[in-house]
Amino acid sequence: MSRVLEHIGKQILHGNGIAVPSFFVAAGKTEADQAGDNLGYPVVIKALVPVGKRGKAGAVRFAENRGELEKISEEMLSMSVRNFPVEKLLVEKKIDIAQELYVSITIDSSNQMPVIIASTSGGIDIEEIAKQDPSRISKRHVNILEGLHQYQAKEIWSDLGLKERPLQAATETLWKLYQVFRRYDATVLEVNPLAITTEGKTVAAAVLMGVDDDALYRQPELSDKVEIGSDRAWRPLTQREKDMVAVDRAEPYRGTARYTEMDGGDIGFFCGGGGGSLLVYDMLLQYGGKPANYTEFGGNPTDTKVYGLAKGILSKPGVKGFLLDANITNNTQTDLVAKGIIKAVQDLGIDVKKFPIVMRLAGVNEPKARELFQEAGIEYHGDDITMEDAARLIAEKMKNQS
Amino acid sequence: MAILATRDCRIVIQGITGREASMVTRHALSYGTKILAGVTPGKEGQQVENVPIYDTLKRACQRHDLNTSIIYVPPAFAHDAVMEAIGNGIKLIVIITERIPRHDVARFLAAAKRADCTIVGPNSVGILSPAEKVKLGALGGDNVSRCFVPGEVGVISRSGGMTAECSWMVKRAGFGVSTSVSLGGDPLIGSPPKTILALFEKDPKTKAVVLWGEPGTSHEEDVADFMKEGGFTKPLIAYVAGRFVEDMSEGTVFGHAASIIEGGKGKPSLKNAYLREAGAHVPNRFNEIIELLQKVVRKK
Repeated sequence: MSRVLEHIGKQILHGNGIAVPSFFVAAGKTEADQAGDNLGYPVVIKALVPVGKRGKAGAVRFAENRGELEKISEEMLSMSVRNFPVEKLLVEKKIDIAQELYVSITIDSSNQMPVIIASTSGGIDIEEIAKQDPSRISKRHVNILEGLHQYQAKEIWSDLGLKERPLQAATETLWKLYQVFRRYDATVLEVNPLAITTEGKTVAAAVLMGVDDDALYRQPELSDKVEIGSDRAWRPLTQREKDMVAVDRAEPYRGTARYTEMDGGDIGFFCGGGGGSLLVYDMLLQYGGKPANYTEFGGNPTDTKVYGLAKGILSKPGVKGFLLDANITNNTQTDLVAKGIIKAVQDLGIDVKKFPIVMRLAGVNEPKARELFQEAGIEYHGDDITMEDAARLIAEKMKNQS
Repeated sequence: MAILATRDCRIVIQGITGREASMVTRHALSYGTKILAGVTPGKEGQQVENVPIYDTLKRACQRHDLNTSIIYVPPAFAHDAVMEAIGNGIKLIVIITERIPRHDVARFLAAAKRADCTIVGPNSVGILSPAEKVKLGALGGDNVSRCFVPGEVGVISRSGGMTAECSWMVKRAGFGVSTSVSLGGDPLIGSPPKTILALFEKDPKTKAVVLWGEPGTSHEEDVADFMKEGGFTKPLIAYVAGRFVEDMSEGTVFGHAASIIEGGKGKPSLKNAYLREAGAHVPNRFNEIIELLQKVVRKK
């Protein structure tokens, strides 16, 4: 899933006939001032960062005049919200709100259908609404083959107690939001609050949108507006992480691999596959090991891809050992993995006699892999040990080293 | 007996001419699984490993009495291929393709439900029953018996790699598997663990089940509820990996796309506690699966 920044989300809604507040994006104090003057006060100032719950983090504030705007924009541009430094601000016209609604659309993984969650207690987190007044929440699944009918949108709001103009406006907006959700391959589309103005109109005051990375090939409008893989880090990607994304994407149809840097740690972690890597990481921690990164691979990568990743993993400062621990492969050619690993180790001039390395790699073409590791003088295990055993071995070696 | 992958399967592979699919065809045939036909548009009249290829599934169904399809079609065309299978009356569809757009998946899963058709995957590595010598997909590769030997333990896994590894742990413990099922690591899958457990419950050959779980989704919680309702009464050994993910920033994905903790939901520690409460055997370390198997399977 890739997060779409709020101003892009609002442009999309606006382009699809849903009213949003007038706004400007400001990269500095001067631009923020100009935005305020153009919009007219009061204004709302929001940090443009790809994380939710910005209100709680002090990243959504109001200014009554230019003086306040200057003070707030200066403060915000020097802060970080959950590890994301604020580089840009969204300055919007404050709207006159009579009532705040909540809407989110996602796909429910339990029954594999789109689900609309709506509430007439918007403006706060849905978790809070659920605690305070669960009777004001409606949850309704949509048959994706039929789509959402207008009458179903109407029923949702009517059951929650909306009447007259707000009922009509909210019905039309919800129906349009569902179309946006489908048209842009969204994984989540949340509007909170969906404001009802004093004139009885709806305005999408805050928008959170996530789109499916796997559908970006058919979303040309979004292609340069989202950061792929942003759900795999809790802060902006580091340079090494970006380099590893490039290594992975250079050969998109041969294997997948991901690299996430951890704070500190001394064991280069290269494990497979998506499930096995979770197991090995757990086991490594249990035996007192300190992984320097989290990397999973699978799907039969080429030796070039393995080489690029292994080199990235081993060149992180502080890495003093290496664990490759994978489940017995169904289709991944272990000889190609061996080739890539050995080339990276040799290119970096690592002395395999002194540098702790544990390999547990079994499956397709294993005899060849075994031979390659033996030639390179690297300790190798196939299915003579379990995945847990390999994690224990590297943890012990690291202890003996220090 | 076994479940899903049985000798009653009359198999077609959609997208058979691809690199991966033709390799899997070769491995399946040499294992003893019959592949009756393949579909790749524009290649009718050709063959892969002597398996005839058709332009349409409709024609393949006219020539062969097919009921099972394995999908190897690239992501952008997968939706149409699955609809083609449903439209031609296929009753079991195993989708190997990964990275299919999520809205497409929701659409074909809804269509399958309406047609009473079972889908396993997307992003499955396959299903394998050693006693039947039937393998649907890449599972087991070219050396099936290394991990999969006939026996009485069912294996269910959200991870393809761990489907093989867990089956190998069963073998290492001195047993074998009735059927191993790779469910797929995506958030939206046709057959969650609970659905497969219901099949194992009815299978007289299966005496116990090993379940591999991961963070995210409510699959393991659903399994626990199912056990409490009495839907599954055989011994279940459940391992939920990814405990470290709980200490990381919420909303970060490790491993499979479905492996995400959000709003405090999907934590392995909670899943484990819930499963234990429902009567499942939940090991603390992965190696303990072996001891547990020896305890619960021998006891029977």
